Amino acid sequence: MTDTPKDSIRDRLKSPADTGDANAGGDSRGSDVTDASFQQTDSRAELAAHGRDERQHGSASAPVPHAASHLRHEDLSEAAARAAERKVAALFLLSVLGVVGFVVTYFVVPFKYAESPDNRWFTPLLAVFMALALGGIGAGAVKWAKTLMVDEEAVQERHGFASEADERDATGQAIMAGFEQSGLPRRKLLRNTLLLGAGSLALLPLPLLLDLGPYPHKERALRRTAWKKGVRLVRRNGTPIRLGDLALGSLETVYPDVPGGIHMADAPTMLIRMQPDELIPRKGREDWSVEGHIAYSVICTHLGCPVKLYEQQTHHLFCPCHQSTFDAANGAKVVFGPAARSLPQLAISVDADGYFVAQGDFPEPVGPSFWERNSS
Amino acid sequence: MTILGKGAAGTGKWVDDRLGSSNFVRRSLNKVFPDHWSFMLGEIALYSFIILLLTGTYITLFFDASMREVVYNGSYVPLKGVTMSEAYASTLNISFDVRGGLLMRQIHHWAALLFLASIVVHLMRVFFTGAYRKPREINWVIGTLLLVTGILEGFAGYSLPDDLLSGTGLRIASGITQSIPVVGTWAGFLLFGGEFPGTAIVGRLYAVHILLIPLLILGLITFHMMMIWYQKHTDFPGPGRTEDNVVGSRMYPVYAAKAGGFFFLVFAVLALLGGLAQINPIWLYGPYDASQVSAGSQPDWYMGFLDGSTRLMPNWEIHAFSHTIPINVMLPTVVLPGILFTGLGMWPWIEQWITKDKGYHNLLDRPRDKPMRTALGAMSISFYVMLLIAGGNDIIASIFSISVQTITHTLRAAIFIVPPLVYFATKRFCLGLQHADHELVHHGIESGTIRRLPSGEFIEETVGLPVPYQITLTGVEPSERPALHAGESPEGPGYGDKQLVTVHDGDPVLEAPRRPRGFFRDKTISRKEPVRPEATMPPLESSGKPRSQ
Repeated sequence: MTDTPKDSIRDRLKSPADTGDANAGGDSRGSDVTDASFQQTDSRAELAAHGRDERQHGSASAPVPHAASHLRHEDLSEAAARAAERKVAALFLLSVLGVVGFVVTYFVVPFKYAESPDNRWFTPLLAVFMALALGGIGAGAVKWAKTLMVDEEAVQERHGFASEADERDATGQAIMAGFEQSGLPRRKLLRNTLLLGAGSLALLPLPLLLDLGPYPHKERALRRTAWKKGVRLVRRNGTPIRLGDLALGSLETVYPDVPGGIHMADAPTMLIRMQPDELIPRKGREDWSVEGHIAYSVICTHLGCPVKLYEQQTHHLFCPCHQSTFDAANGAKVVFGPAARSLPQLAISVDADGYFVAQGDFPEPVGPSFWERNSS
Repeated sequence: MTILGKGAAGTGKWVDDRLGSSNFVRRSLNKVFPDHWSFMLGEIALYSFIILLLTGTYITLFFDASMREVVYNGSYVPLKGVTMSEAYASTLNISFDVRGGLLMRQIHHWAALLFLASIVVHLMRVFFTGAYRKPREINWVIGTLLLVTGILEGFAGYSLPDDLLSGTGLRIASGITQSIPVVGTWAGFLLFGGEFPGTAIVGRLYAVHILLIPLLILGLITFHMMMIWYQKHTDFPGPGRTEDNVVGSRMYPVYAAKAGGFFFLVFAVLALLGGLAQINPIWLYGPYDASQVSAGSQPDWYMGFLDGSTRLMPNWEIHAFSHTIPINVMLPTVVLPGILFTGLGMWPWIEQWITKDKGYHNLLDRPRDKPMRTALGAMSISFYVMLLIAGGNDIIASIFSISVQTITHTLRAAIFIVPPLVYFATKRFCLGLQHADHELVHHGIESGTIRRLPSGEFIEETVGLPVPYQITLTGVEPSERPALHAGESPEGPGYGDKQLVTVHDGDPVLEAPRRPRGFFRDKTISRKEPVRPEATMPPLESSGKPRSQ
């Protein structure tokens, strides 16, 4: 809850006389006064007097900082209080208006997508009326508290937290006494079996948690994908790709031609075509590409995002998640970013019908690193 | 009124007959809360959480946390006939076919952002004013836990719709889990029920998001509030405010009206945001597909710093003994937040260890008066902000046409260079502000009056600060500061014209109005050692004027 903004010290000091009439409520505490009148006024007189060091700074005619009064207009004038009450009431009524508007909007304005071009007004209107309904009550309550409720400065003592020393001792003794009385310190057998029993109880939920998923070492799921020797490379719509279908310099996302192939998270692969002489095949992989067509896993070796932003001129593949960049012409080696390993390459060939097929699975696990992974 | 009064009395009697609660209720109603704008930051977090519960409950009525594949056939034409998970389809449904569903969903999302934002800003307030010092270390730890659970809750929540953006986030989360040595692969498989993505994660996150973490947060918040209630709120120093008292308005009616009204105001702002400012338009992203991603994908803001640390990290990976340790993933996403949040939670003890200050502190510090702490805080913020910038490096690159590599390389250097500079600058800044306070106290305020001395010399007269303001600025030791204990004579120093109430053992005692409290009302006391107010507070006469009511 904020207080009403107050002028800075300097503002107050600039021209005290200008603001002198601001508090013409009959209360001298609110008005600006010169040093002379300060001596006669009640509260601020002392305040000012104590605040000034005559020997160092002051002279009788020096203006004195205007001590702010916290009497509110509403405290001083019944008319102001009534005006404030009316404002609060208006805010409360705004809530009623908001609720009415909300209900009317809810039932009258079309809301379904594409049902009517007017539907674009539904959510904004609903929100505005809802905000009026909530804000009216909220603003009213705050204004009420700030203008009409008792304006008080209450003081409450804090209590210390630490107990007396003998209190602490007594409590400690009570705990120790109970411990003794339970027999635990003396009866070693009891103590040891209790610890054993409670300790083994903690193991009870473990098997339940261990069955939350299959065990990775049995599944080998991270190490293999659906790619096999002879599996065709198909587009998202399931059509196979023939040699020559792909324009030079283009990239096509391909999936294994197996049931559910396009929904497998580790299988997406990209087939890229470039000039055959631009390709620098890795040692032993000279026959993994076909006439400038080369295939890499789409899944980033860093954290698994699809790396598909392809820069034709540089043959760079860019991951939008963490900006790892791979050189497609050069074995998809990392040229920038946090990824540590090249994208796995899929060996491809062309089958008897002229369609691209895989020569086998990826030679290494696809995607992010994991502890049991043993190739680099 | 009499009927109302009778009813209230009857209800009160009924309750008191059974619970004997009168004394407790009266003490609670008269509890005094100090007033300062910065104390409402935590309130915003509390209210956002309540709004999250309300809107979240509504969304659960329509959301189906299943990864079963369905063909969408709702109102949103562009996605008609697309195969997607039930979770994504039901989120589309909430957005397009449930009347007011989009508003509720967007308020929920905005409230989540505000919840974490207000926690972070509240944390900064508590840090820079030293509110966490003894005896409030426990609440600091609870607050840290609330920040961490809030981040996890937010991530679990925005992962539920199973759209392309959140699915990519889950893909990254799965990679991060896998990066932990020895147990990572197992943890990932148990979490996802097999290899990513599996069919279990959305349902499991749903249980976590609507039951597990909300309960945890609710419990932590309850404990947080109980501690504030029991230990009483800290207060900024000022005339009449000591280590031994609380000065402010009572719980009932003023504080309750202000705080209650503020809840509705926060809700109103969130309603406006939810209806006028689009957030997380999942229908534009499409359903999750492992082979698709949008350029410029960004997580919710509170995850941004981790995204940034991941982007800045060089590509270090260890291959040894048939095992892989991806330092490039583990360090920025597991180790770094681990260190940051552990350090944050332990900060009160770290500071105690540095300062050897084991005393109670109910009065807050002004940041300038603790240059080391303030500088450390500013340094940490600069570190965090740079991670946040790094998290948006692709966006910055495209807006300002700078290469993303340049930004990354620059930030890799800056993250080590800038924080120390910020530390140094902040410390100098604090010391400079302290000097300004010295000036004001020792030489007073420039009056604008030029006087000519008989010798011909011109001097500008200055006006000494009134004592309460000196107290505010210079900081006397609590023992030396004019105390305003409960029950003491009302003629204490420097008070406003507010009606004074001393709450003693739960019973308010009305007192004569006090003298003006002055223009430093919202300012606070500096607690510098060397400066003392030149005038001590002599007993003042009562103004004797009753307040016009």
